[in-house]
Amino acid sequence: MPAIIRRTPAGVISTIVALLIWQFIGSFGPLAGDSFATATEAITALAGLLTDSVFWAAVGQTLHMAILGFIISIAVAVPLGLLIGLSRFSYRSSKFTFDFFKVIPPIVIIPIAILAIGPNITMGVVLVIFANVFAVAIQTAYGVRDTDPVLLETMRCYRFNVIQQVLHARLPSAAPQISVAIRLAASAALIVAVVAGLVGGAPGLGNLLMRYQSGGQVDKTYAVLLALGIFGILVSRLIVRAQRRIIFWTGR
Amino acid sequence: MTTPAISIRDVTMDYPTPDGVNHVLDGVSYDVAEGHFVSIVGPSGVGKTTLLRLLTGLATPTGGEIQVRGQRLTSSPEGLAVVLQDYTRSLMPWLTVEKNIALPLRNAKLSRTATRERVEESLAEVGLTGTGRSYPWQLSGGMQQRVSIARAIAVRPSILVMDEPFASVDAQTRFDLEDLVLKVRDDFGITTLMVTHDIDEAVYLSDEIVVLYGKPAVVRDIVKIDIPFPRSQMTTRNDHRFADLRTHVYGMVRGLE
Repeated sequence: MPAIIRRTPAGVISTIVALLIWQFIGSFGPLAGDSFATATEAITALAGLLTDSVFWAAVGQTLHMAILGFIISIAVAVPLGLLIGLSRFSYRSSKFTFDFFKVIPPIVIIPIAILAIGPNITMGVVLVIFANVFAVAIQTAYGVRDTDPVLLETMRCYRFNVIQQVLHARLPSAAPQISVAIRLAASAALIVAVVAGLVGGAPGLGNLLMRYQSGGQVDKTYAVLLALGIFGILVSRLIVRAQRRIIFWTGR
Repeated sequence: MTTPAISIRDVTMDYPTPDGVNHVLDGVSYDVAEGHFVSIVGPSGVGKTTLLRLLTGLATPTGGEIQVRGQRLTSSPEGLAVVLQDYTRSLMPWLTVEKNIALPLRNAKLSRTATRERVEESLAEVGLTGTGRSYPWQLSGGMQQRVSIARAIAVRPSILVMDEPFASVDAQTRFDLEDLVLKVRDDFGITTLMVTHDIDEAVYLSDEIVVLYGKPAVVRDIVKIDIPFPRSQMTTRNDHRFADLRTHVYGMVRGLE
């Protein structure tokens, strides 16, 4: 293998290959034509969007829905999961209900959400919360229940009260589980915030995507997709990095 | 007559199981004198750990009672410290060694300086000075068990309970830790109860050995270990008295006597 390829990170090579295939299909393949943008067209359009205030306003609205919804989900779900996980009875009795809501795709409650709230930012926030709160709560409860009984008995021998046991044993024990749930929730928050605009008429990138598509601005439609992919990668990288710092004792 | 540190009075323990009631202990009685080192031995599954759970207040006997200094035991008694076999599960991986040791001291309401001094003293006692900033998982198994022992002595316990404390370390480390326990006992005079399946270890460390035997288990014998202190790995284990006592206890545990 030539040295220049060996020294390039694998991600860069696969990205270049994917872009080349995209370019090739868009230029010569069966999809070639006005309804399909090539890689170069999409990238050029994205560069144009970067100086467009409409695009940045949409980014702001989508991030607003995603981040606010995400923060509220975590702030509600983690303490809720903690309480549920503390007793076997509450865990067993909540698990069914929470699993039921967990598997309902947020997209199917959009009609109800539009009726109840209207096609706006608040609806997007509510959808993001709905998409995440059950999964994070049940995962937190599971992590809390999964605390090593030997550790808890050690704490009881040293006469730690229940609150101390929660703070010093159950919560840190559940941290790896909670963090997986949070990572999934962050990705889901972004997706749902876009879907809220795409299907539910909420503002933001989803809405922009619809407008470009119906206006026949093929290159810009693709550019928004490209931007969403990049945002998604940035979000998950950021969270993984934060997790490695916070939960340093696992994965040794 | 002085009040014993711990008084086990006619203790019975039954567990309900899907196949009926499991009778584990049947009328176990024994008094632990203040400052004594007592080992509980017996065949596997005889109920040694069950008895230990009763003594730490983690479980309540179905019959009889346990008194600590004349007080009936209802939850973990004040002044109790524990060292368990599985140090990786009883130490907290997210806390440094010094924070692990300092955590139980929160309930002692010491000042910050006093806490730090107590942690340093305890680390010095177990020969781990300078490792306070490490995490337990960065240390060897023997060192982690030393951390458990340091955490135990840091609370200045009046009762120390150990469940197979040296079963997860290699033979050489085991001898070192046994001598460490003798030193701790010498320095602090803590009433100590240890469950072990290692009869040599029980004879080497104890003032008295309680032999549990049978199903449900009863106290088969109480063996006084009249080998003088200080004991040493080199001489004590070659003593005739040591050999006689270990043979006697071994015979009891195997049901040969």
